[in-house]
Amino acid sequence: MAENNESKEVLLHRLQVCGFILVELNEYLDSHPEDQDALRCFEKHRAMYEDASEAYTKRYGPVTILDHAATQGNRWRWIDGPWPWETEKEGM
Amino acid sequence: MWVYQKKLQYPVKVARPNPALARVIISQFGGPDGEMGAATRYLSQRFAAPNDETKGVLTDIGTEEFVPRCYKTTI
Repeated sequence: MAENNESKEVLLHRLQVCGFILVELNEYLDSHPEDQDALRCFEKHRAMYEDASEAYTKRYGPVTILDHAATQGNRWRWIDGPWPWETEKEGM
Repeated sequence: MWVYQKKLQYPVKVARPNPALARVIISQFGGPDGEMGAATRYLSQRFAAPNDETKGVLTDIGTEEFVPRCYKTTI
């Protein structure tokens, strides 16, 4: 997977961008459930999000409690810092 | 029901943290015009919604009302 060579910042940024696109499409599709262009766009970005999430969480920890990384190394990694509001340079 | 994602929705760089400013902004979360009130209203109103589209809109917008809280604490 090409994502394995990408940096933490690039992967996280992709999660944020794709995540935001999916949230916006979600709102739109709620009132336009038959819009084929919007459905295809959602599917495309969901696949992109899943690939980035798999690469990011494997190396940098869980984003949701359902990620495999949450229990990696026989420890509850969900609580490990930094939390998103603890910024040094940028968000998370 | 709800899932918390451990990332900010949009990347932010806070050059100079300002707790006093943050306190003012956070105070806007409550009260009649705040996000908390809006979230609670939408999430309650969806139970009386007449169709699936409306239930979806109220659920999802109600959920999104909690996002600004994360940015206020980051400041």
